[in-house]
Amino acid sequence: MSTFAQSIISGLGQGSAYAMLAVGFVIIFKSTGVISFAQPALMAAGATLVSYLVFQFGLGFPAAVAVGVLVLAGVGLGLERVALRPLVGRPVFVAAIVTLGLDTAIRAVTNRFIGPDLRPVGDPWGYDRLELGPLFLQHRYLAMIVTAAIVLAALFTFFRYSRVGLAMRATAFDQETSLAQGISVGAVFALSWALAAGLATLAGVFVAAGSGVSQGTWVVGLKALPAIVLGGLDSLPGAVVGGLAVGVVEALVQTYQPVHAPWLGGNFSLVAPYVLMLLVLLVRPYGLFGTPEIRRV
Amino acid sequence: MHHLSPVRTLLLLITIVVLAAACRAEDEAAEDPADDVVDDPAAEEPAEDDEDDAAEDLEDADEVDEDAVADVEFDEPGVSPEPCPDAVNEDNGCLYLGVLSDLTEGPFSAAGPVIQQAQEAFFQRVNEQGGVGGYDIDISTYVRDNLYQPEQQAQVWDEIRDDVLALGMSLGSAPTLAIMDDLEDNDVVTVPATWNSDWPFQEVIAETGTNYCFESMNSVDYYLQEENPDAESVMVVYFPQDFGQDGAAAIELAAEANDLEFFGVETPEGADNQGEAIGRIMAEDPDMVMIYAGPEETAALVGESAAQGYEGRFIGATPTWNVALLDTAAADALSELYINQSYWPVFGADTPGHEAMREALGDPERGSDFSTAGWTHSYPMLEALEAVAESDEDFSRSAVMEAFQSLEEVDYEGMLPEGAGNYAAEPQERALRESNFNVPDPDEPSGLAPVEEFFVGDTAAEHDFDQPCIDFYE
Repeated sequence: MSTFAQSIISGLGQGSAYAMLAVGFVIIFKSTGVISFAQPALMAAGATLVSYLVFQFGLGFPAAVAVGVLVLAGVGLGLERVALRPLVGRPVFVAAIVTLGLDTAIRAVTNRFIGPDLRPVGDPWGYDRLELGPLFLQHRYLAMIVTAAIVLAALFTFFRYSRVGLAMRATAFDQETSLAQGISVGAVFALSWALAAGLATLAGVFVAAGSGVSQGTWVVGLKALPAIVLGGLDSLPGAVVGGLAVGVVEALVQTYQPVHAPWLGGNFSLVAPYVLMLLVLLVRPYGLFGTPEIRRV
Repeated sequence: MHHLSPVRTLLLLITIVVLAAACRAEDEAAEDPADDVVDDPAAEEPAEDDEDDAAEDLEDADEVDEDAVADVEFDEPGVSPEPCPDAVNEDNGCLYLGVLSDLTEGPFSAAGPVIQQAQEAFFQRVNEQGGVGGYDIDISTYVRDNLYQPEQQAQVWDEIRDDVLALGMSLGSAPTLAIMDDLEDNDVVTVPATWNSDWPFQEVIAETGTNYCFESMNSVDYYLQEENPDAESVMVVYFPQDFGQDGAAAIELAAEANDLEFFGVETPEGADNQGEAIGRIMAEDPDMVMIYAGPEETAALVGESAAQGYEGRFIGATPTWNVALLDTAAADALSELYINQSYWPVFGADTPGHEAMREALGDPERGSDFSTAGWTHSYPMLEALEAVAESDEDFSRSAVMEAFQSLEEVDYEGMLPEGAGNYAAEPQERALRESNFNVPDPDEPSGLAPVEEFFVGDTAAEHDFDQPCIDFYE
């Protein structure tokens, strides 16, 4: 039983990072209708920036993370303005391809800054852990869970109660009507990119905590894809649940599959989130919390 | 049709310029001697001067490439009576060596530029000493990025195949094997930057250092002999590539030879994907764990296992180490539990070859053992070229091949043991069996201090090397 509980705890910790990334994907998708494939690159860029701020500029870790989030939010804003805004009105497929290009470009630049070595992000947690009877919780996982909970709660509050959040929700619901009501849809698009980039930075810092950021760190960002499909592409709660589910499923499969189902082969945990995603889609084609799309045919 | 407004166009251009400037600024920062000032905050972070300089130099090489290639006239492929670009000896001809390496995006792009920089430094030294037989050696002009992909390797090889005398470097087993037939058909002696146990069985390959097979056997024997004669079990955590599979097969052979229980755990790339391997380490609690993975994975494996209470020994193959690991959260666990196995004495070692290497590289405060790889691996090629020069033959691929296959010993200036480089022998005698063991030490240039040099365990010494270890992999 303690092994099971331990896997759940570890999974929730890792899943918190996936959830933040997934929420970034969903924010952009809801407001623009585009899946941004640049999120993994922004995640790596954010973590790299934090590493530089800590070691090159001598900032404390919390300050570096705050500055990193703000700077990357600005980068997200700029990317939307320069590369995505001109594509308004074009098929969303075109915009999605552009985000792929952005991903490649951002990674190329980021890799130059990462260099050939690992880059620690200066996190204070390391591999220290909290003993909870027979269970333990790594400090970084605790930090991930708490931070994710605070940030996501703040986001939900922002969307629910602020005027800008309301404008974003209205835009997500119907862009033309929002325009008619005086909402600056362009500003909403830019803000969604800024929020997503900031969340990607936070996720990147947590992913890099412990072992550091490397040129391969961006790959972790792809784990948000099964999370958002699983939760529903247009659902923020779905992204959170999906991210946590991916983390937990990974951890459980890592623990139990090698013992109870070795015939599935080594490292089945890499595939497991996608298997779960397919199973959910069989039952709920729009994901757990997604909005069913009804078209007249 | 939607057109970009002038403002948007301007913004787009500014962004591109800023991105380009950022790349450039980073390179210039790497060049800036101020980076080496001790009290600079940058000095506290993982030092990369060596590697960044390597990337810079490669860009310079590309620039040379553009101007030089078009006008070169060859007597034989890669043999020109004209001086090399930026020749040290203007009266010498030029021998062009090709390089197919992972320079930008592949999984070993951190290693490729460093190896290349060391090789350029090696042959610069040769040229400054007068060159070989009236020729300078150029290893900068025909440098291509293979992205560590066999398809890309075939393509870039085709670009330079008529212009090089030999391949001074081919990084990666799979990429090298992808063009092996053509290399053999054309007598192209090739220096590999891998330690696959298949290389001594290939006629065109000029490998250097102990292969994955013998390093694994030595790691088990070293642990049993020096640390824990009562050990009962051994585990290998490995990437599913030749590097890992070769080593895993040899660990299993060593376990059998020493009556140890064996556990093999294949693991994917990525620190976040090591959960299964860590779970297996904690569940099986082996006395020793051999790692065939990258530094990022090593940090996670060692750091997290130690945090969960594992107290056994980790031994990592050469590529598991990166000096930046000493700045990660896993540093303490690594210092306590980790030993590195290297194919040669580490960067800071005290041999004439190491001293020459460090001097040629500008005595960097921090060094990488991929530099040691590039430097060490260049000796056999030099000796083969010198052997051609000393014979009556003109330089040609076949002459270099014949000279290489006749080498019975290479002078590595102490970087490898006496008798290393016997390419004339069968694999049983040709393959080097000595390993070096090192422990983390922040005061050393590469972060590693030697504890045992040129160790040969009984398993490796007695192994009948009549086929590559990877053939035993199941």
